Amino acid sequence: MIELRGVTVALGGRPVVDGVDAAVAEREWLALIGPNGAGKTTLLRAVAGLVPFTGSIEIGGRPIEELRRSELSRLVAVVPQEPSTPPWMTVAEYVLLGRTPHLGPLAKEGRRDREAAARAIARLDLVGYEERRLGTLSGGEKQRVVVARALAQEAQIILLDEPTAALDIGHQQQALELLDLLRGESGLTLVAAMHDLTLAAQYADRMVLLDTGKVAADGVPRDVLTETLIAGHYGASIDVVPVGGRIAIVPRRGTRDT
Amino acid sequence: MLRISALVALVAAIFAVVVAGASGGATSHQTGSQASFPVTIVASNGKVTVARKPRRIVSLSPTATESLFAIGAGVQVVAVDDQSDYPKSVPKTSLSGFTPNVEAIASYRPDLVLIAYDPKGLSDALARLGITVVHQDGAKSFKGAYQQIRQLGLVTGHESEATRLVGRMRSKIAAIVAAARRAGRGLSVYHELTPDLYSATSKTFVGKVYEALGLRNIADAADSAGFGYPQLSAEYVVSVSPDVIVLADTVCCGQKSSTVAARPGWDRISAVRTGSIVRIDDSIASRWGPRLVNFFRAMSSALARLRQ
Amino acid sequence: MTVAAERAADVRARGLTPIWACSAVGFLLVSLAVGVLAGPVDLGVGGVLESAAARLHVPGASTPLSPTEEAILWEIRVPRVVLAALVGAMLALAGATYQGVFRNPLADPYLLGVAAGAGLGATIAIAYLPEGLRGQRALPVAAFVGGAVAVMLTYAVGRSARRERDAATLVLAGVTVAAFFTAWQTFVQQQNAETLQQVYSWILGNIPNTGWSDVVLILPYVAVATVVILALRRVVDVLSLGDDEASTLGVDVRRVRLALVVAATLGTAAAVAVSGLIGFVGIIVPHAVRLLSGVGYRALLPLSVIIGAGFLVLADVIARTALSPAEIPLGVVTAFFGAPFFALVLRTTRGGVS
Repeated sequence: MIELRGVTVALGGRPVVDGVDAAVAEREWLALIGPNGAGKTTLLRAVAGLVPFTGSIEIGGRPIEELRRSELSRLVAVVPQEPSTPPWMTVAEYVLLGRTPHLGPLAKEGRRDREAAARAIARLDLVGYEERRLGTLSGGEKQRVVVARALAQEAQIILLDEPTAALDIGHQQQALELLDLLRGESGLTLVAAMHDLTLAAQYADRMVLLDTGKVAADGVPRDVLTETLIAGHYGASIDVVPVGGRIAIVPRRGTRDT
Repeated sequence: MLRISALVALVAAIFAVVVAGASGGATSHQTGSQASFPVTIVASNGKVTVARKPRRIVSLSPTATESLFAIGAGVQVVAVDDQSDYPKSVPKTSLSGFTPNVEAIASYRPDLVLIAYDPKGLSDALARLGITVVHQDGAKSFKGAYQQIRQLGLVTGHESEATRLVGRMRSKIAAIVAAARRAGRGLSVYHELTPDLYSATSKTFVGKVYEALGLRNIADAADSAGFGYPQLSAEYVVSVSPDVIVLADTVCCGQKSSTVAARPGWDRISAVRTGSIVRIDDSIASRWGPRLVNFFRAMSSALARLRQ
Repeated sequence: MTVAAERAADVRARGLTPIWACSAVGFLLVSLAVGVLAGPVDLGVGGVLESAAARLHVPGASTPLSPTEEAILWEIRVPRVVLAALVGAMLALAGATYQGVFRNPLADPYLLGVAAGAGLGATIAIAYLPEGLRGQRALPVAAFVGGAVAVMLTYAVGRSARRERDAATLVLAGVTVAAFFTAWQTFVQQQNAETLQQVYSWILGNIPNTGWSDVVLILPYVAVATVVILALRRVVDVLSLGDDEASTLGVDVRRVRLALVVAATLGTAAAVAVSGLIGFVGIIVPHAVRLLSGVGYRALLPLSVIIGAGFLVLADVIARTALSPAEIPLGVVTAFFGAPFFALVLRTTRGGVS
């Protein structure tokens, strides 16, 4: 579905993303992991067409430079790390914004658009919230609203940048379960930058480990989350623990001289 | 006997001194001669003593410039400011009376500087350089204007010419007023400073000209705050329909009879219909020097035409 | 499918509801009525109505006003009210547009240097035009050109910046250009200090008494600007999410921003050209509407047009009747209301007004 070949993004003269090759298959959940500053956000922005890059990024076989803004946004929806949620906007208005790629600049939302938004609201368990203003919502509720907007966009690919960063463990689980469910129902392809390695391992089909802009590892979680690789790239010492068919990452404390 | 006459003489002398002092302070140690220096006057910057007859006068006041040349002190003037334009032969420079540069002024090596406006401690700065400064603010009355001319006569050594000039001005104006007052009785005037209808009330110097001619100034009703230069509303001017319009914005803003008549609703105004629109050169209307007579004359011809 | 269709009915963006539209239009109509009736010359409601009927050739109607009063009403007062409405509408709309496009609650129509450029144009015209031309309409043209040039320069400076070419960059470019033009304007003004009063008077802002000619002059610009901006008003709500998110939602941010800025600037430059720099309208009105209604730009933009018109008409009434028959410069009246209003806005908008 998504193919990256030799993608390099230079910001301020430095290559923040350096010669990245990667591929995401349809309906796959790819987790992008790596230490701070590795270039995960920038890579996602490149795929979203927000930064210039050298190399090739193709979606469904078409290079994204050839796509108009509106076409690209009908294919790719983005859930940013810190979405802008104007406090005065209602939930309905915000989710309806997801329909923008399907309208021209002068067009008004039609019945189809409102139905798509209504479906997204229902899926995200936000029925009854339509007239609530974003400023009155909790963090978890806001997160759901943002995902609803992405869903209303009816794009096949959703890019998420740290989708659970600000959530507590309960909401984290809720959000990721929901994404997985939606993936199955609507056939979505998900690419998520995730900092929580265990959660990434639990949900992702495949992982790409980025470090200083380069791909350090690419494969199933078991192959990427090894003690050596984590130690080498994160500078952390961990234990890999098998849990329910998947793995979990547990930090290992060093021996202390008391 | 002696004591009574001495007392009378003393009282008379005191009286003369008091009167002389009260008239604004144009005193001199010897009266009636040309070379009567040093001389002390009281100007807007207080008491000023001019030690010797000045030979290098710099004038930053267009009004003072006109007066200087009218009393024969022109030969003593080495530089005038950029706004001084009358008479034509004045030594105009780029010195500014509004944004003066002390060094530039000093470079002319003046022994007397005349100013009408004292921004940013100009007179202090010049005083520190040892230059005598006479500050003559805008006159508030004709008497004040005459007195300024006399003062200039004193400090430049042209006292008698100044006195004669003032006398001529007075009599000419009196004659004009006597003749025109009948013509002007009951008529109203609108004095226009700018095309956005700033006017001048009877409190102002120019307003006193109209007052002297017996004209009613329509701006008076608009000046509850009393600071002299209100902006009038067009509706008001049209509804009051002044009999005479005096344009003092002909040079700055190109106003003339045709532009005034073209203003919406203004063709109904009495002055426009009778063609009683007087164009006064901006500088004549804004100065208080010898050309005051010209102003009066222009007004009197307009009023004479009106009565025909 | 029916359930979804039912629920879809609940999913609505708040557009211009009938209640708000009627209230706004009502406010405008009242303002216009007050504007036409107020003035140093009392014409009476009946007089005005009959005069209007006569103008519209209603059979049997004749005007009870004298020819002078007719002239005052139709050649001075009514065009002035109409001009105030046009200028107020345009400034409020431009202010609201810039607030949306630049996500800055303190943005006003003069943000990108229009004011400084127009001020320079006007000052140069006042100081240097040959005497013959001064009485004519050269002043508005010079102000308009100055304003337009300033904004073009802002765009050029913004584009040449090495940093990311986003909204904030453009605003900074605007600040730069405005500073430069203001310095230049002050210099010209000082060099020609005898024109100080005229220049200052223009800068304070006022609705001139030029009759219908100014109305005709600016109407095309204001009309076009209004149409363009209102057509794009839904996109302004998308822009309030930020350049990146708006892009990912398929909006060509740069092009839309350019269209909105050009429209708002042309309209503002036209308004400024005839009325000088009337401040605060562009900030007060959008904020007041937002405070009262909390709506997004979809409704805020049309409401700003209507209420901005009414607001400036009323402010002009105060300017010309408070010290009647003297006039207060309109910029002073709007500032009088603006300063305390600003304080109110700062106090009440805590969560960030976008």
